[in-house]
Amino acid sequence: MTIDAVAEAPASRSIALVISPWAVLKWIVAICVAIVAVFPIWWMINVVFSDPGTPVSLNPRLYPTSFSAGFGKIMMIMRETDYLKAYYVSIAYSLLTIVGVLLIGSMAAFEFALFNFPGKRLMFAVVMLSLMVPTAVSIIPTYLLTAELGWLNTMQGLVVPGLASAFGLFMLIQFMKTLPKEMLEAARLDGASHFQLYRYIALPLSKNALVTLAILTFMKTWGNFIWPLIVAPNPELYTVGQVVGLFNSPYSHQTVDVVMTANLLAALPPLIFFLIFQRKIVEGIAMSGTKG
Amino acid sequence: MIAKKYIPHYMMVLPFMCLFAVFFLYPIASGFFYSFHDWNATTTVRFVGLDNYSRIIGSRDFNKAMWNLATYIFITVPLGIFVAFCLALLVDSFKGAWSNIFRSAFFMPVVLPAFLAATVWRWIYTPNFGLLNMMLGWFGLPSVNFLNDTGTMLYSLIAVDVWVSAGFNMVIILAGLKNIPKDVYEAARLDGASPLQQVRYVTIPMLYPVLFFVTTYGVISALQVFDVPWLLTGSSFASYGGRSNALLFPVMDMMGRGFGSLKFGQASAYGFILTAIIILFTAAMFVFRRKGYDQ
Repeated sequence: MTIDAVAEAPASRSIALVISPWAVLKWIVAICVAIVAVFPIWWMINVVFSDPGTPVSLNPRLYPTSFSAGFGKIMMIMRETDYLKAYYVSIAYSLLTIVGVLLIGSMAAFEFALFNFPGKRLMFAVVMLSLMVPTAVSIIPTYLLTAELGWLNTMQGLVVPGLASAFGLFMLIQFMKTLPKEMLEAARLDGASHFQLYRYIALPLSKNALVTLAILTFMKTWGNFIWPLIVAPNPELYTVGQVVGLFNSPYSHQTVDVVMTANLLAALPPLIFFLIFQRKIVEGIAMSGTKG
Repeated sequence: MIAKKYIPHYMMVLPFMCLFAVFFLYPIASGFFYSFHDWNATTTVRFVGLDNYSRIIGSRDFNKAMWNLATYIFITVPLGIFVAFCLALLVDSFKGAWSNIFRSAFFMPVVLPAFLAATVWRWIYTPNFGLLNMMLGWFGLPSVNFLNDTGTMLYSLIAVDVWVSAGFNMVIILAGLKNIPKDVYEAARLDGASPLQQVRYVTIPMLYPVLFFVTTYGVISALQVFDVPWLLTGSSFASYGGRSNALLFPVMDMMGRGFGSLKFGQASAYGFILTAIIILFTAAMFVFRRKGYDQ
């Protein structure tokens, strides 16, 4: 290969992208995989937005056919079932968890990342070790404790046991380690109290990491199936996940399109979040992977 | 006093550490205690020594669950990572907007809650009028009972699992790919390495830490698989695992013993058996990694 050929490589590659058989194959594969990845979600939308009664088996709905029918089904589910209540429960469960995780996590991360005090290393080691312990081992004893506290079928029973998130703490510590120490020092010389350093310097500067953690926590809480299943078996506190389970159970006596409407409604918040915060979600996951 | 100086620090970590102690450390300690006792939430606690452990290990369900788990992990983790790796290379080979569009599309399944992925796939797998069987019909192939035929159930689960996890691992691998300096590829190309050789001798060695993480994390989460098989089989605490327990997994078995037959002592012991397996596995992975570095 001559020097000239190397220098021209980028230019010739972009032309090759259009014509070479490899490039064609690449596009075909990419599009096929994209269809496999997205189609089940797209199909769900199409089943919802079609006239009721058309048997699903005859045509794999490739596009939505009736918007009014779809909205009709959504309204019907909201009016005639307890779906709306489950929505409130899931939203409250997610929001309270996010606020709690961010608040206590950022307070602790602030100390662990920026200061030294006796016992810090031990505490940090114990918390990090817990990242290795599977949920499977703690879930039943945590349930028993929650029951002992009389918190079964309560919102605090859902939320509080999940607040001390070792993962969240780890992520925030990683971020806060990069905060400029001089800034904290300057603020302290200006007479800021310890809490003020946290509130007015560390928190605002960590906004990015906090937003990322909030989104990841939302995804996790909204999708949490096992904990609400055991801790809140009362229909009053059904989360969206449990209601979806009811709709899909063999005894639900609902038609396919109604069941799919229920499924779509559960998928909507995370999908909307994804469309808005795509970059943050992807970065957050990539960060936890490459640094962990 | 020295201690006084540190009070503000302790105040700040106090909420986290308290909740952590109460809802993580204490439950684990109490679970350890229960694992040596017979207790069904109403009777008095009775010490039984290692009875819970031996009963679990000797039970038919445990063996079935472990066997399912081993087969499942052995296929799903390598396959999932292979798919994710190919997808990452694919996305990386596109430029600009298309790279982002394909990345988002491949990532979409990760956004769905697992419970939803399972329910939607259950419909796709439905016999007769399910999407997949319909497509088989187009090619004149016989209908397959994906979720009720003991020979295919495990593979149906693996398909859903790869569909869900590929995008997640892809994003992590992509971040790793971005960290590989471009001049390494340039050097390899000058040495006459084909694209495939570049992947083999540049990309994979440079991605070693990332692939290590993805594998370890993949196995640890696969060991605890619950939501998807539970929902695919339409399980409840009264009956779970699907037809002849073909989709019975350890965490399902554990939850069933706890909440189905109220044997909380056994369920706690089950958790510790699983933890022991996970710790052994993680330790093995790290030893393996150390060896890899030494060579």
